[in-house]
Amino acid sequence: MLEISDLVTAYGKIEALKGVTLHAEAGRITCLLGPNGAGKTTLMMSIAGILQPLRGSVRLAGTELRGLPPARIVAQGVALVPENRLVFPQMSVRENLLAGAYQRNDKAGVSADVERMYERFPRLRERREQLAGTLSGGEQQMLAVARALMSRPRVLLMDEPSLGLAPLVVAEIFRIVAELHRDGTTIFLVEQNAHMALQVAHHFYLMEQGRVTFSGAPGQLAEDEVIQRAYLGAREAG
Amino acid sequence: MIDFVQNTIDGVMTGSSYALLALGFTMILGVMRRLNLSYGPSIMIGAYLGTLVYLQLSASPIVVVAVTVAGAVLAGIYVERLCFAPMAAGAGIASMVSSFAIWMQLEQAAVLVLPRHTYPFPPLATGAPLTFGPFLLRTDHLIMLTCALAVSTGVQLLLYRSRFGLALRAIINNPVAAHLVGINVRTAIVWAFVLASVVGGIAGYLVLATDQQITPMFGMWATFKGLIAMMIGGLGSIPGAIVGGLVLGVVEAHSQWYFGPQVRDLVAYGLLFACLVLRPGGLLGGPPVREPFPWRRGT
Repeated sequence: MLEISDLVTAYGKIEALKGVTLHAEAGRITCLLGPNGAGKTTLMMSIAGILQPLRGSVRLAGTELRGLPPARIVAQGVALVPENRLVFPQMSVRENLLAGAYQRNDKAGVSADVERMYERFPRLRERREQLAGTLSGGEQQMLAVARALMSRPRVLLMDEPSLGLAPLVVAEIFRIVAELHRDGTTIFLVEQNAHMALQVAHHFYLMEQGRVTFSGAPGQLAEDEVIQRAYLGAREAG
Repeated sequence: MIDFVQNTIDGVMTGSSYALLALGFTMILGVMRRLNLSYGPSIMIGAYLGTLVYLQLSASPIVVVAVTVAGAVLAGIYVERLCFAPMAAGAGIASMVSSFAIWMQLEQAAVLVLPRHTYPFPPLATGAPLTFGPFLLRTDHLIMLTCALAVSTGVQLLLYRSRFGLALRAIINNPVAAHLVGINVRTAIVWAFVLASVVGGIAGYLVLATDQQITPMFGMWATFKGLIAMMIGGLGSIPGAIVGGLVLGVVEAHSQWYFGPQVRDLVAYGLLFACLVLRPGGLLGGPPVREPFPWRRGT
């Protein structure tokens, strides 16, 4: 579904992505693990068009996305739940959801989807007129996911959805990820929480210093080693 | 007591025009997180075009308003293309400095090109003031207040009831997230400039029509009044802009009455200073200007 090949993105002269190739299959959960500074968020921002990659390609079902402005990439069917959630703090929960559907013109469909989001996330219904900035971290994460789903994406990108959340809330977020998968959503997930990620992922990649260093199914690598490499980056340690 | 009430009434009237200028400033600052110092001078250009059609074609007030607003919009787009569009994200200072340069450019153009310093500007209404008991209300001031109310209500409705308003508020809240939900941020910013210029053009027309004259210094005057009113009310806050404008107008009217015109501006700056010391966020303290690219700190 989402094919990334040989993607290079740089901040000035420093290459944060040094030729990344990976593939998120339709209807499955693909996970990207790696230590801080490996380039995971840079990759997500490059796919979404916020950062401009220098080389390589990002294809969604065969359509090249690299070089398109972010709004066109959303129109193509890619939605990103960004790191740190980035909800619109001074707007109500409902307005955040409507902003998520900004590209859509079917008013009736949008209101039906808002209703659907309230059913999936009852907390959001309770707080629908509240400003998003006043929500708890977990609620903001749910809002960020719901906002991304409002564009009816073909691929949902999630950047560290468990970041800074309490263990119970993290479990809730991963329950939602599993639920979205059951409904047929294609998910590409970046995580630091290797333990939780490996439980839901069908396929995972390890990324270290701007390169993909492992690709396989959970179980193909001992969890200890995954955790070691995902948190510390074992390449220079070994 | 009668003087006090009369001064307050006059202050609210002139303050309503400051409020509109502050509203335009705050929209651009909120959407772009950049200060457009050229805001006043671009209104001045529009106003000169307005007075030109008045003097050459003795156009009706409606036409003068339309030409003033259209001129302010064109000059606003010129400033946006030159000072804001080419600057990379995070280069806010570059935009501010270049907008200062365009301010000087527009002002000097007006000084050098025009054969005279002062030109007449068509008045709004010349009838005798209305009297309510001991109080006087100038008709042009009343029109100014009504227009200011109508324009700020219109802007409020546009921001909170329309799709374009949703996009602008999303950009004000978080520009990266606005990109991510599929808002065309660059286009929306150009339209925000147009909207701010329309508001500024109307404000400029109302002020000049009450003064009945225009000089090249009007640009500087409009930038200063708008900036001070915005800072008093709170950066990036729309209700703050309105309140800041009215407070500035009332304080100016009183100080002019009690201390004379020389002291008036001194008091205005003193008020700004006191505000910045006591309430740095402004009276209605808008949302703090956040780091526009929080993810840059991370990976």
